[in-house]
Amino acid sequence: MKIPDKRLHMLLLLLLLLLISMVLSASIGVADISSADTGRIILERVLGISAGEEVEDSWRAIILNIRLPRVILGLLVGASLATAGVAFQGLLQNPLADPYTIGVSSGAAVGATLAFLLPLAGLVPQVLVVPVFGFLGGGAALFAVYQLAKVGGKVPVVTLLLAGVVISSFLSAIISILMIFAGEALRGIFFWLAGGLAGRGWSHVAIITPYFLLGSSILFFYTRDLNLILMGEEAASSLGVEVERVKKIVLIAASGVTAAAVSVSGMIGFAGLIVPHAMRIVVGPDHRYLLPASALAGGIFLIWADVFARMFLAPSEIPVGIITAFLGAPFFMYLLRKKRHDYRF
Amino acid sequence: MAVTLIVENLTFRYQSTPVLGGVNLEVKKGEFWGVIGPNGSGKSTLVKNMAGLLLPQEGVVFLEGWDLKSLIRSTLAREVAVVPQDTMTGFNFFVEEVVGMGRAPYQGRFQRESARDRELVRRAMELTGCMELKDRHINDLSGGERQRVILARALAQEPRLLLLDEPTSHLDIGYQTEIFDLLNRLNEEERITIISVLHDLNLAAQYCHKLLLLQEGRVYACGPPEEVITYENIKEVYRTRVVIDRHPLTSTPQVLLIPESREKDRLEEIPYRRLHFIAGGGSAGELFRKLCSMGVQVSTGVLNIGDSDWQEAKNLGLQVVEEEPFSPVGEGAHRKNLELLKEADAVVITGVPFGYGNIKNLEAALEACRAGKRVFILDDLSYARRDYTGGKAAEYLRRIKQEEGACSAGSREELLRCLKE
Repeated sequence: MKIPDKRLHMLLLLLLLLLISMVLSASIGVADISSADTGRIILERVLGISAGEEVEDSWRAIILNIRLPRVILGLLVGASLATAGVAFQGLLQNPLADPYTIGVSSGAAVGATLAFLLPLAGLVPQVLVVPVFGFLGGGAALFAVYQLAKVGGKVPVVTLLLAGVVISSFLSAIISILMIFAGEALRGIFFWLAGGLAGRGWSHVAIITPYFLLGSSILFFYTRDLNLILMGEEAASSLGVEVERVKKIVLIAASGVTAAAVSVSGMIGFAGLIVPHAMRIVVGPDHRYLLPASALAGGIFLIWADVFARMFLAPSEIPVGIITAFLGAPFFMYLLRKKRHDYRF
Repeated sequence: MAVTLIVENLTFRYQSTPVLGGVNLEVKKGEFWGVIGPNGSGKSTLVKNMAGLLLPQEGVVFLEGWDLKSLIRSTLAREVAVVPQDTMTGFNFFVEEVVGMGRAPYQGRFQRESARDRELVRRAMELTGCMELKDRHINDLSGGERQRVILARALAQEPRLLLLDEPTSHLDIGYQTEIFDLLNRLNEEERITIISVLHDLNLAAQYCHKLLLLQEGRVYACGPPEEVITYENIKEVYRTRVVIDRHPLTSTPQVLLIPESREKDRLEEIPYRRLHFIAGGGSAGELFRKLCSMGVQVSTGVLNIGDSDWQEAKNLGLQVVEEEPFSPVGEGAHRKNLELLKEADAVVITGVPFGYGNIKNLEAALEACRAGKRVFILDDLSYARRDYTGGKAAEYLRRIKQEEGACSAGSREELLRCLKE
């Protein structure tokens, strides 16, 4: 068959684009380091091939300790949000679902904020506490939104968006209250919430990586079931899918991935919306291709959004969440207006 | 195993609203069932219970002896395929991808489709006429095309039981016939057992071997179409009066609707529930139909096999006492005729000529008359043209009329008016 081959080629192409993006974006910054040198420094670190005499040690420090972790974090956050977006859209059979619009991000933010404020820091490693609290918060928000939006076993676009707005506003109010009590931690929380990758390092990469790998593997495992669920839950059921179980697992995995992303980078909206839609045009709606394609493209998208965020007003930075919102909100409006017919809502 | 599906005392409620109450059903392998009933009678819910998509609060559904609750979904999906009513999907797959999903129950999670899978998908598309649609998007299709694609997906599942929920509700009669001819072929050639919810009673009577008529979640009638599609059943369940006719080619019952403006012209109900006809030679034909459509139970006899009234009575599914072609009425048939006469509320003698072959029928009528049965005589033929027994028949008729006070009518219309009174 012709189509799957084309889709596989597309995945390989995206992977290639991602690798190029990583090297290129790591070479962009205030310190002028060429992309060739950046590539050499990375290869030296990974494969042990000497980068050569002309590469300065300070460059190595900048690339390996500052830029590369940030690029990798961008990749992981983008991939996480896009993957979660695909899962939510598929499961809710709703093209406007995204971790941000359905309130999961807000819920995770409340959880993570609580984790920052509670005097747990010394007791349990942060790698566990923040994402777990984020996961609990995100899961609770999702549950609330789902229950609110459900009409006769389905989740129509309109009620989903309304429920997302209501729950998100409520959660924002909770965050505001928490911030009043935050005292010294306020500035930190504020910056983290705005959604950005500034000042993040390897420790953050370490936090998100296990959650992303585990969560996206689980989601990938259920991609075929997601395809069938798109035919309607009853149809999926009659085609052999244990729908209720799959729903639970996918929702938990997607919330977990979202929570991990929110824990390290705050609220970055719309990445989970734009990327899956773009990828559907490229590889079609089959989740077996759509999910990996969205993960790769989500990584590429956020890496470049972050480059823009740190270079636009350099040396000061814009939170990357603002960039994605600038791109995402108009796209969302476009979908709401133009795609109404395609998705029949 | 002979039995494919057994529904035992099935009770289902949505929240606290009862939908099905104590439904029992036994579907044998290779049968073609239609589930009919008014809106909200629980047809779809029953089919969903049979598919294991809904689990009953009480009662059991057995598939080849297995309780549906104990079967895992993928096992069930290899046995039972479902064609749902609503076939809209949220995202735009290619038709070929959708049909390919029918192979999901047979494939491992990341398994590529095998040559056999591809062959079955191709065959399912060919059978349903979806081949030319294969590179189109599912949501770009018309309702009828989409329905065929979903049917193809169900066939790709290689089911032994196919459940359909109003598979032709969006289709014009061309597609309706096409789909049901296809289902009929699948049923006959592939031995797939089929249970379909149907709105169209004529379609149901035409194609299904057995019908299940539901009323408010209970089985009202169950059996072959001619037993289920009757004037009484339809009137009781659908709360509307109809004319039941026979299909001229297949003689299955067909339901004809009566518009309100015509309803007024109809004769009032006839006070007799059962009428027995002494008829023959086409003298009764039209009356049989009229009375049947008014809900009167009609029996007749003795008629020779092949007689035109015999044919009409058979077409209408009436109770007939029959005798060999061109043979005089024998003792056995005569006795049976007397029994039917006894059960009837009144007797009608049509303008049939009497000879030595059928004079016994007139004797029987006279006997019934003497026993106090009301008798109506259609006198649209002179005695000279009806009596071929040298005066015997004329004598009997006179006695029935004069001694026993039978009602005599000069035309069919007059007879109907007499019956009404």
